[in-house]
Amino acid sequence: MSGDPLFPIALSLRVAALAVALVGPPGIALAWLQARRRYPGRALVDALVLLPLVLPPTVVGYLLVVYFGRHGPIGRALDALFGARVVFTPAAAVVASAIVALPLLVKTAQPAIEAVPSELEEVGRSLGLGPTALFARVTLPAAWQGVIAALVLAFARAIGEFGATLMFAGNIPGRTNTMPLELYAAWQAGEEGRALLYAGVLSGVSLAVVLLAPRLAPRAQAFLERPRS
Amino acid sequence: MKAGAAAQALEARLELRVGRGARAFALEAELSLERGVLVLFGPSGAGKSLTLRALAGLVRPERGFVRVGGESLFDAATGADAPPHRRGIGWVPQRDSLFPFCSAAENVAFGLPRARRRQRDPQVRALLEELGIAALADARPASLSGGERQRVALARALATGPRLLLLDEPFASIDRAGRGELWRLLRAALDRHRAPAVFVTHDADEALALADRVVRYERGRSVESGPPERILADAYPVSLDAEGWEPDGGALALRGARLVTPGAPPSPGRLHLALRRPPPRAGGSDDA
Repeated sequence: MSGDPLFPIALSLRVAALAVALVGPPGIALAWLQARRRYPGRALVDALVLLPLVLPPTVVGYLLVVYFGRHGPIGRALDALFGARVVFTPAAAVVASAIVALPLLVKTAQPAIEAVPSELEEVGRSLGLGPTALFARVTLPAAWQGVIAALVLAFARAIGEFGATLMFAGNIPGRTNTMPLELYAAWQAGEEGRALLYAGVLSGVSLAVVLLAPRLAPRAQAFLERPRS
Repeated sequence: MKAGAAAQALEARLELRVGRGARAFALEAELSLERGVLVLFGPSGAGKSLTLRALAGLVRPERGFVRVGGESLFDAATGADAPPHRRGIGWVPQRDSLFPFCSAAENVAFGLPRARRRQRDPQVRALLEELGIAALADARPASLSGGERQRVALARALATGPRLLLLDEPFASIDRAGRGELWRLLRAALDRHRAPAVFVTHDADEALALADRVVRYERGRSVESGPPERILADAYPVSLDAEGWEPDGGALALRGARLVTPGAPPSPGRLHLALRRPPPRAGGSDDA
């Protein structure tokens, strides 16, 4: 059951990185939408974004299995289009991690985008920037600290994902056994050394994140006004 | 006099309301400017800034139209409504409008096409020189003084060659001493670039220093418009009319001078009139 003890570490890093890559663009877009637009149903979108934060991860995992499973609407579509199966694959671990990372990502990036003075965007428009160029050349560079912090926190949440991953990706050695799953398995099997290894790596990553994130987020405003010596 | 049959720099009629309930605000404004600087003058909260936002396309009027240099940018009747980034209208807000992640020169070049968006673009250099900030080209906005920032903001707005410039109390947070210099610079730059401008202020000195024409605002309406001397007469009740003048040592000898004051005339005898140095006015037309 054990296999290469380094495999779960590499897998977890890869899964978390891919999860952030998957959820990053839509998450930042959602953060912008919630920060800058007032539209009907905005409160509902807010609630849906927050839902994975509040739902037990096992419920998230269950819902993912239902939707991505062989009889689920998304699972059927993926099967028909690409002949691809998601459940119990590393891709499932990526999707599960991405979903649970979404709330943290959006809710950290949103205040950073809100803090970008509207004057900057208005001036950008007056200088001929359309919506896309405005976001890329004004909003994002002005909010970059908060956005990076959001991505870092999303990475940390993704790498620690347990419940939803277990339900949706399983714990298949050499395939979907990410660090948190492997930690649980090692502890159950009484393999103290392996448990300690994964606990140590995960703690190290978390410590790095909590040290780094507050230095970045959500102080875009303060950054803009800070005098430079 | 007028250069050919040039179109009006700006013609606009705006009707719009913003907010709801107790915070609702209705604006009704009519503006026209042949050339030069149109000052929107009035107390804060009178709708001047909202007028600028409507001209820039940042808010959409319910009724009315906006024509700049003869071209229709907005017309409620036809539904025409050019988006802000296609209006070619420069925008200088009150404060904190420089991109903090760009140097002064990069800010000025921000609206130029990518290939020219380099710091060494000759036009960017020329603008920096013109506004007296060439030495600050590589400085970050956070290290600039308020007046320097507004010079950069002005250069940035002029760089794209706008057909109209909108300035929303750009010097409000600058002390009086610095403001006079900025008035002179602004007037000179606008004249040199032949850029018509709409300038919002609640300061009568500033209005007099800059305006070719003034529109006075009161509670969401443009109530009167005309030459600065007439519209600002409340702020400058005493005026001196002279038929001509000659230098007389360090003084001026006035011919056929007449002092116009409201209220009781001064008692007979010697009269000494002290005037504050007039707001500087560079480059403006001096034809009476």
